[in-house]
Amino acid sequence: MMADATTPGGGLLVLALMLPAVGMLAIFALGLRHAERIAHATLLAGLAVALAVAVKVGQSGQAMTYLIGGWRPPLGIALQADGLSAVLMVMTAVILCAVGVFARGSFSSPRDGAETRRPFVFWSLFLGLWSALNCAWLARDLFSLFVALELLTFSAVPLVCLDGSRETLRAALRYLLFALAGSVLYLMGTGLIYGAYGTMDIATLHHLTRADWATSLALGLMIVGLMAKAALFPLHLWLPPAHAGAPAAASAVLSALVVKAPFVLILRLWFEVAPQPASTPAGAMLAGLGAASILFCSVMALRQARLKLMIAYSTVAQVGYLFLVFPLVMGSAAVTPWESVGWTGGVLQLVSHAFAKAAMFLAAGLIAEALGHDRIADLGGAAKAVPVTVAAFALAGLSLMGLPPAGGFIAKLMLLTAAVETANWWIAATILAGGILAATYVFRVVGSALAEAPEGAGTTAIARSRELAVLALALIAVALGFLPLQPFDYLAIGRGGMP
Amino acid sequence: MTPATLYGLCAAALVAIGLFGLILHPTPLRKVISFNLIGSGTFLFFGIAARRGAAAGFLGDPVPQAMVITGIVVAFAATALAVALLLRMLEAGAPTVDGPPEQPDDLSP
Amino acid sequence: MTAAGLLIAASVALPLLMALACLWPAFRDRAADWLVIAPLPALLAALLARGGSIVVAPPPLRLTLALDDVGAMLLGGAALLWAAAGAYAGSYLRGQPGLARFAVWWLLTLTGSLGCFIVADMTSFYLAFSVASLAAYGLVSFEGSTRAQRAGRVYMALALLGEAFILLGFVMLAIGAPQGNPLIRDAVALFPAAPLRDPALALLILGFGLKMGLVPLHVWMPLAHPVAPMPASAALSGIIVKAGVIGLIRFLPLEAALPGWGATLVGAGLFTAFYAVAVGVTQTQVKTVLAYSTVSQMGVVAAVLGAGLMTAAPGTALLAGFYALHHLLVKGALFLGVGVVMATGPRHRKLVLAVMAVLALSLAGLPLTSGALAKYAVKPLFGDGLAATFATLSAAGSTVLMLHFLRLLGGAAKPGAETPPAGIVWPWAVVALAAFAGPWAIFGGATALPLAASLGAKALWAALWPIGLGAVLWAGLRVLRLPAVPEGDVIVLADRLAPVVARAGDAVEQADGWLRRWPVAGMMLAGLAAGLSVLLWAGS
Repeated sequence: MMADATTPGGGLLVLALMLPAVGMLAIFALGLRHAERIAHATLLAGLAVALAVAVKVGQSGQAMTYLIGGWRPPLGIALQADGLSAVLMVMTAVILCAVGVFARGSFSSPRDGAETRRPFVFWSLFLGLWSALNCAWLARDLFSLFVALELLTFSAVPLVCLDGSRETLRAALRYLLFALAGSVLYLMGTGLIYGAYGTMDIATLHHLTRADWATSLALGLMIVGLMAKAALFPLHLWLPPAHAGAPAAASAVLSALVVKAPFVLILRLWFEVAPQPASTPAGAMLAGLGAASILFCSVMALRQARLKLMIAYSTVAQVGYLFLVFPLVMGSAAVTPWESVGWTGGVLQLVSHAFAKAAMFLAAGLIAEALGHDRIADLGGAAKAVPVTVAAFALAGLSLMGLPPAGGFIAKLMLLTAAVETANWWIAATILAGGILAATYVFRVVGSALAEAPEGAGTTAIARSRELAVLALALIAVALGFLPLQPFDYLAIGRGGMP
Repeated sequence: MTPATLYGLCAAALVAIGLFGLILHPTPLRKVISFNLIGSGTFLFFGIAARRGAAAGFLGDPVPQAMVITGIVVAFAATALAVALLLRMLEAGAPTVDGPPEQPDDLSP
Repeated sequence: MTAAGLLIAASVALPLLMALACLWPAFRDRAADWLVIAPLPALLAALLARGGSIVVAPPPLRLTLALDDVGAMLLGGAALLWAAAGAYAGSYLRGQPGLARFAVWWLLTLTGSLGCFIVADMTSFYLAFSVASLAAYGLVSFEGSTRAQRAGRVYMALALLGEAFILLGFVMLAIGAPQGNPLIRDAVALFPAAPLRDPALALLILGFGLKMGLVPLHVWMPLAHPVAPMPASAALSGIIVKAGVIGLIRFLPLEAALPGWGATLVGAGLFTAFYAVAVGVTQTQVKTVLAYSTVSQMGVVAAVLGAGLMTAAPGTALLAGFYALHHLLVKGALFLGVGVVMATGPRHRKLVLAVMAVLALSLAGLPLTSGALAKYAVKPLFGDGLAATFATLSAAGSTVLMLHFLRLLGGAAKPGAETPPAGIVWPWAVVALAAFAGPWAIFGGATALPLAASLGAKALWAALWPIGLGAVLWAGLRVLRLPAVPEGDVIVLADRLAPVVARAGDAVEQADGWLRRWPVAGMMLAGLAAGLSVLLWAGS
């Protein structure tokens, strides 16, 4: 939909972007000792803003728009919340709140008042990351999205190496450099687009793009650049060490949210910028890489000895499911992509994986804290030490496996239905095989955690509130499984003007 | 050869050199510099886009220039972050980004 | 919302709540003593709430529970066996390490298996089926020995494969339905005209057949059923396999004649029935023989369903359900009885063995037992052809297998055993009694055949001669030296694949190490960008 004017309440969108940034500044201004309290206050306010936006979008049935400085695109910059953005904003806010509760123990400043670097770095980057994510969900021109993604990377990279060990520093540098390589490809693409069409505004481009070589090259560069940031196989070199090396709270945010931003951007490029109908072989190529990601990285997850590495590889595999969407929504002229089962399934997979993976990483963190290690083979006694956490892990695992009644089940069922409808049998087979592999690696952990504790193994007590935060995330992932098996009207809000 | 073509070739050459360095140079610092080379090539390309806008009757399209400025800031920030990480790594041991983490470092700065 | 509906809902809600309550340590430590009450609402529902239904979530979710005649029959039998086996477990496993864990898996499996009989919509069926399948892993691998772990792995791999078949089959089936998550009834009504009818049927038969142990998908059963603790074996072999039976009953379009598919199912079922006997007589472990007997009997049930599908014979579902109920109770009593025999000293041994002998031969259709009734009831379905002959001969096969079982059982005893604890005798006695009396009580209602005819001389002769033939065959076989066939027979072929799988895994790991090298990934980045651009350009 073209952004013609600021809609009522559009200021909320600016608030969503600025609140975390203001919180970040407040941490500097009011003293680092208050970092945690300021962050928690900001989290609450930000959650309220996200919910308000979602409710308003739902009530009006139209996208919310804010024109910065009153300038209309293509010259001005617009922020816009359609149904998809609103869902993503709420998802982000809820997950960050849960992580905020979880991280209360790990990064709190010591009582005696000494200002340490770790809590300050964690909480300020945590808020910076949120601002960047909201920007990625709301921005509507390719260049603002570039800036949002860079902000995201710059906030995420230091979170990886919070503990300052050589291994994590190296993982962080790998992450940064590869993400930068992706960024320059994306930037080249935007340059080509601007050179060809003289605008970066997605809604304007939607009506302009032609299927010529320059546009194809631009889209190819941008999509592959974003794939590098989303860690799709075979560009996943940076993800396992980075996500496994970060502290649990950071891993959860990185795996659940940060890799989703580039994917959402690919989704917008493919369905809103690329000339329609989009190229069939290119869609098949993206889905093929997604399928390879699912199979290859699930096997890798199965072979990991460390819990966090296993979960990190599982992230790469689960991101693969998202890329299956592209061939599944083609070939039917009767319904627009966002009214199709395949597209809805893809978005639901994104959301349910976010909740499940956040819960899983946090659970892994608590298990490691309780037992003092995260070797999968020696997890015996975990179920006795932290039963709620292990239950949360199992519930989150249910969603990853795609078993009912979890969100992942509905998502995979929709993708499977779309695959059968479009006669993409190889995609159907991959979805099923991926489910079997996921079940195997989740069961391996749960089975080990249920075993008896080895002799003389001591455990550390865990605060109940942190366990409950993890359980809450897992329960949301499961609750998503009670959504009806059909395309959701909410996700199509704000797309009325698009053919 | 028009100036636009010349600039275009320069931009392409910068990107190519940068890509080569980013992919094949083993030392992280050179990778950072290579990234900046690619960035410069891309910014040059934006410059050409601005010139093309000028051909349509403007004195020069200001939008790409604004983007280049933003891009330079972003690239500067990225470089600063990368160098900071490199320094921390130097304090902690040998900096390299290649090879799986479980293998010993085979490259020195 | 009716009382019947609430009772039906309670039959899955109570065990589920008990499983959740295990998160609370005070309950968890005592959970094993309470297993007996978990299936009681289901038992009441089977007796009182037949025909009731409840919509748990309205459309578009459409989560619905309903209890029809077949469902009530199997639900009642299953609930009774779950309750008895639960009581048995409390006594049999007392003081064992990990008992609390056993109770959690037990309750979850119970919830799923009872759910299979009462759910009426497709998603809930898949949910209940999956819970029963996956939670049973905890029962199979409970003992933690190498043998149990291997059995658990094989079980899990095949169960997941079965789930995948069924899910894809469901998706193909539901694709013609107007809304998401249709009721099973509505979806199956569309079946004969569905565009993907044949692949969907094939997948469903594979998936449910795997759960029932149709050859060659039976390999997990002779591994998994014997390694579980005795009450769990009874539940696995008696009840969990019925999830496959109810699946076929619910999803086969039994009201539309599909001769091709029917004949396939008859063939697969009868082959399974004889194959399992042939392998079963070479086995030397009591419980393994019983597991092979389950495979054989489920083959007969599959053949019954296939015969009904060929001609769209009315009442097929009830007849197959009746046969399954007979097997459920008898096999449950046999497994529980093995534990009783082991714990019984010479004084009472003869009595216990006599009861076991009658139970065992009931599977072969001994006159006056439930087995004779079940075989009598399904006989007309097969008509007069070749299939009928083989179905009758399968009783001779069962006789051979059961005599082999009884001989092994006679030699099985724990040293120093005297009087078995009452905690395991009573549950066994209750199930054994139910196995004799239950099918008599419901015969008329389930089969619409006159009970008196089943006692006529003709029927008695028809039941007796295969048993006589079986006895002669068994005597003949004792002279031969039978080859030693490993448990799970053709699974040994899969064992040969193990090194190949391990090598493939190593190869994946090496490939990952290579792909994650910086120059390789960098080249990939550039190559993919070029490739995608070309495809975008060429494709549009």
